Amino acid sequence: MLFVRRFQHRVFGVARAVTGDQQLAEDVAQQTFERAWRHAQIYDSRRGSVMTWLTSIAHNLAVDAVRARRTEPMAPEDLEDLLDAVTETPERWALADEASAQVRAALARLPREQARALMMAGIYGMTARQVADAERIPLGTAKTRIRTAMAKLRTATASAKRGDHVR
Amino acid sequence: MSGDVDCEQLREIGPELALGVLSGWERAEAVAHLDRCADCREYVRQLTQVGDRLVGLLPDREPPPGFETRVARGLARRAGVSEGQRRAPGRSRPGPHRGARRPRVRVAVVGATLAVAVGFAGWAIGTAVEEVVASPPATEQSEPVMVGDMTPAGRGGQDVGEVYAHPGPPGWVFVSVALTGSRHDGPVTCYLDRPDGTSLRAGDFTLRDGHGNWGVAVPGDLTRYSAARLVSSDGTVLATAQLQKAQVTTSQA
Ligand SMILES: [Zn+2]
Repeated sequence: MLFVRRFQHRVFGVARAVTGDQQLAEDVAQQTFERAWRHAQIYDSRRGSVMTWLTSIAHNLAVDAVRARRTEPMAPEDLEDLLDAVTETPERWALADEASAQVRAALARLPREQARALMMAGIYGMTARQVADAERIPLGTAKTRIRTAMAKLRTATASAKRGDHVR
Repeated sequence: MSGDVDCEQLREIGPELALGVLSGWERAEAVAHLDRCADCREYVRQLTQVGDRLVGLLPDREPPPGFETRVARGLARRAGVSEGQRRAPGRSRPGPHRGARRPRVRVAVVGATLAVAVGFAGWAIGTAVEEVVASPPATEQSEPVMVGDMTPAGRGGQDVGEVYAHPGPPGWVFVSVALTGSRHDGPVTCYLDRPDGTSLRAGDFTLRDGHGNWGVAVPGDLTRYSAARLVSSDGTVLATAQLQKAQVTTSQA
């Protein structure tokens, strides 16, 4: 089944990274394909590739599954491993477009505590309150870290779009 | 607090909104502001894109053995194939019969009235179509879908892709193709053909080394179309598919 074969590595990769659990990841990945079918008519090609669309479904389902399952959204060592993995050199990622490469580079340049806060919120779906608890920092600090990190990544992709003209 | 979010406050919580980690009431207030402020909408759209790209950085990973087959079975289960929707003889491949299906661990999903099982009738998904389900679900919804295998133009033979369409409205078409023979590079146009010989240009996408995946929303009733065609920029027909009507059955847990 081509549809599944094409996208299963992507969908499973997202589910596995977020859940940290092989079995739960398979269930999430399976649900992703079922949901993609059920909601195919919602897909709008102008909003991005099929890949992005499936990735987003897988991510939402994985975050929901983790939220429903346990109080501890992620293991601290998983976060460090994942942060290393996503900031790895871009050569491995044939599909990465320029903007994604910029996000990866900007993420690698972030102060570690900002990158951690961003990954907790953006990948694991943790609220600022959960980030604050996990990092033992005040809520306001957690919010600032998330916001500052997002601002830097947004700037990086915005300049990537103008890149050939401005710089 | 008035409960109204202004632009400055929106800039503060925009990142959390875009990442989907705001609480329900905070999100409701933020969305209410976005409804009336185009600048902040654009700001959040950009942040959402950043969030998507962040998730896009997660590494691909090899699924467990048999994953593809299990998904196909999940989709084909309860197919309830009726006469006339069956595939041509010789097309379905006999598969290994599995006595016991792995009990599916139901993933708890917020707002979980989602589809829990989807099956496509009349669709030869690998080994899966022959499977018979022992106990019918309590409630079942059914909706039409159109499917077809892409075959290389003129030569027949091995499938090179698949077309799926939700008749709509709004209609939706998804094409997945791997032209391993021609290894075509470049833009292709997807046409949907009606039985009377007229056709609709559904849209263009790009093949890389013969591979491409693409989807598009199509206005109107897609059941009027009987075939799909991929045509290269020089007018060469690369592949065609006959579309067959089928049913998606969805059981609610
Ligand atoms: Zn505003």
